[in-house]
Amino acid sequence: MQQTDIHQFLKRYFLANNCSIVTETSSYLTVQLTIELDKELMNRPFYWHYIEKTGGEATPASLTFITDPAFEDDSVQGERIHFGSPRLHQIFASTQKLGGFIHLYEQVASAQPTNQPLHPWLALNIKVSYKCDRKKDELLSLGINLINGQIIESFHELIINQNLSSKISDYCFTLSPFIKPKSAIARLTSYVTDYVKAQPTEWAEKAQERWYEDLALLDHFYETAEELPEIYMTEKTALQELYEPTILFKFINGGLFYISPETMSRQFNKTQAG
Amino acid sequence: MKVKLNIDETWEAAFSTKLEQDGPWSAWDLYKLAYEIEDQTLISEFEGLQSPKHLADLTPLPHQLEVAKQVVETMNGKAILADEVGLGKTIEAGLILKEYMIRGLVKKVLILVPASLVSQWAMELNQKFYIPAVPQRKSYVWDQCDIVVSSIDTAKRSPHREIVLEQDYDLIIIDEAHKLKNNKTKNYEFVQSLKKKFCLLLTATPIQNRIEEIFNLVSLLKPGHLGNKDYFEELFSAKKRSLQNDEHLKELVNKVMIRNRRHDTGIEWTKRIVQTIPVEFSPKERELYDAITSFKGNGLHPSSAFSILTLQREACSSREAVYMTLKNMLERQEDQNSALTEHMITPLMELLQQVPQNAKAEKVLELVQKIDDKVIIFTEYRATQLYLQWYLKQHGITSVPFRGGFKRGKKDWMKQLFESHAQVFIATEAGGEGINLQFCHHIINYDLPWNPMRLEQRIGRVHRLGQKHDVHIYNLAIQHTVEEHILKLLYEKINLFERVVGELDDILTKLDLKNIEEHIQDILFHSRSEGEIKIKMENLTSIIQYEDSEEDQHAAN
Repeated sequence: MQQTDIHQFLKRYFLANNCSIVTETSSYLTVQLTIELDKELMNRPFYWHYIEKTGGEATPASLTFITDPAFEDDSVQGERIHFGSPRLHQIFASTQKLGGFIHLYEQVASAQPTNQPLHPWLALNIKVSYKCDRKKDELLSLGINLINGQIIESFHELIINQNLSSKISDYCFTLSPFIKPKSAIARLTSYVTDYVKAQPTEWAEKAQERWYEDLALLDHFYETAEELPEIYMTEKTALQELYEPTILFKFINGGLFYISPETMSRQFNKTQAG
Repeated sequence: MKVKLNIDETWEAAFSTKLEQDGPWSAWDLYKLAYEIEDQTLISEFEGLQSPKHLADLTPLPHQLEVAKQVVETMNGKAILADEVGLGKTIEAGLILKEYMIRGLVKKVLILVPASLVSQWAMELNQKFYIPAVPQRKSYVWDQCDIVVSSIDTAKRSPHREIVLEQDYDLIIIDEAHKLKNNKTKNYEFVQSLKKKFCLLLTATPIQNRIEEIFNLVSLLKPGHLGNKDYFEELFSAKKRSLQNDEHLKELVNKVMIRNRRHDTGIEWTKRIVQTIPVEFSPKERELYDAITSFKGNGLHPSSAFSILTLQREACSSREAVYMTLKNMLERQEDQNSALTEHMITPLMELLQQVPQNAKAEKVLELVQKIDDKVIIFTEYRATQLYLQWYLKQHGITSVPFRGGFKRGKKDWMKQLFESHAQVFIATEAGGEGINLQFCHHIINYDLPWNPMRLEQRIGRVHRLGQKHDVHIYNLAIQHTVEEHILKLLYEKINLFERVVGELDDILTKLDLKNIEEHIQDILFHSRSEGEIKIKMENLTSIIQYEDSEEDQHAAN
């Protein structure tokens, strides 16, 4: 992530959370927090408890972020933000928390008042981690049509530029899903499971080798002991925790999108062609 | 191959609640941002280091990055980091810790360091690495904080011990790990029973004397890597092999140990400028010293021999140091434990009281005034330390005392006082370890330890990464005393002061000089003449020099 990306990210985060931008230059950004975001980021529960008990006037904080490392101006008091700085990662975590669940309708600008059906899609963005004593991740975005069970990969890409709203447009109606969300999630999970099973497993085999090697050494170490000490079991468990190859699924975010079949097939064909 | 699958169901549970209650739902842009962040911070490779990208205020040196990479990629996160003093082992450990945290492999961490370094470690991890490490102060810290820095002595004591042993640590870091070389100690046993996945042991001197020491260290890290005790002893110790001449053992050790030398790093080090300053006793001081020496060769018990040597060394330091020892001996007269009898001590006490001044202290004062900059004075004796502090104060020079026994907070405070207010820092031996003072570049060795490694550690406090000036080392030695023998016949012969850090411990290890200190004591006490001392010391130094040239040849090949 470059510094300019960070600047843009911060701005979008605060605007999406209804904060106002007080000052903005290419080097820094000052934002006025809302009460909600003050509670989210400033970690001062006692202050808010006090204000709420006494009915005092709430003054949420304003924050200045300096995003240009070369910026030198003592008259601007602010936090220097760079990739890796705790504040940025706090805001990352907050974004994950606040951006977890979605429910949107496609905006259909219809010329004539005909009834336009929208299909329900369940979207799921999943982080797949391949973990042993090392780790790597992969991000998968899937969508499943709750009427016919069709599953589409790279769903997020497909949906991202659509005109969407939290309210349904006039003359539109949603089809009731045949597939319940719970079962849709199960289908997507099994889809991802099939996907990871088809991936190369060399990393896991190597990890297992390392594991068994260390295990053999441990056994050898206590070979001459008359009775195995407690430490032996502790070490053995630790080796399993360290090396055992495991694949983790973590759902980053997801939710329901109501999209017209025309838009979906048009977008789908576009990505297929691309 | 079938791989275990683990599905995090927290999202699904929250989603179903949202469906039941019809919201609240996220803003579209936040949803998109959440995805973008994940996409951009995703780590798609097992290999490579992420940590440097996260550390805007730190530029690790190439050898430090290489160490971190190697530990993560080829050593499975179990390693002895054994760089020579001053190459930044803390930075290496920080990089590795950070890497594992970013990758989500490590959350719960225990960092065990000497008490004097607890605050410094916590501060460095916070400031340089943005790792929220907490110095242990309250017992609830153990289970409530993820990353705790503590001394072993605190952690192993009840009630902490019980809580600490309950924790499942992902990573344990132990600084000055050479202190765990003996597997019979409580500390060793404690560390061995900690639950841990990854483990880093930091030491500049992985092997000081015996080959068993490396066995014990490695067995903490990876039990069985060097076989079990019986096997190891049979194979290696019995044949009197040393680490250096056994290729197989060396190879095994190198799988779990990384050691960088100064000259490998390509870093330009500031110079060491060494000056020996001879000091002449005042007549009364000389009288006292000679009186002590006269007890030699009276067919005394070996323990008395040692006491006389100690008194000689103390006489070269201060009459206060001699006084403390004599006083203790007098107190022990009744239980017959004293090395010298009362009728030997009394005349010494009388001589002592006639000593009007301290020639060495006068020299120090002169030196400190001339340097006119921050100075560290090392002495072996606490009584001397107190005396020097008083003496300098008489002449308007403020100084800060430093001892191993100080509590952590006091050590930090003393260091800060020195940095911001005082010209002189007076440290005793035990205080020499584990404090970094690179803002100062003058060291006075008021008296000399008899173990070259300890001298090296003193210099290492100052001559390390971050030192911007040449380091001046002043050695004071009283002429025609044991002190002069040590300096002239040992340290200067082996060029100790000009050496780059770390060479020496290699050489001493190779020589397997079980205890160089005892060896020297033996020479100094049992020789009947100056000439004999000279010859024996020459023998010792020539062994060291021989190893030294061997080493050079190895390097040349």
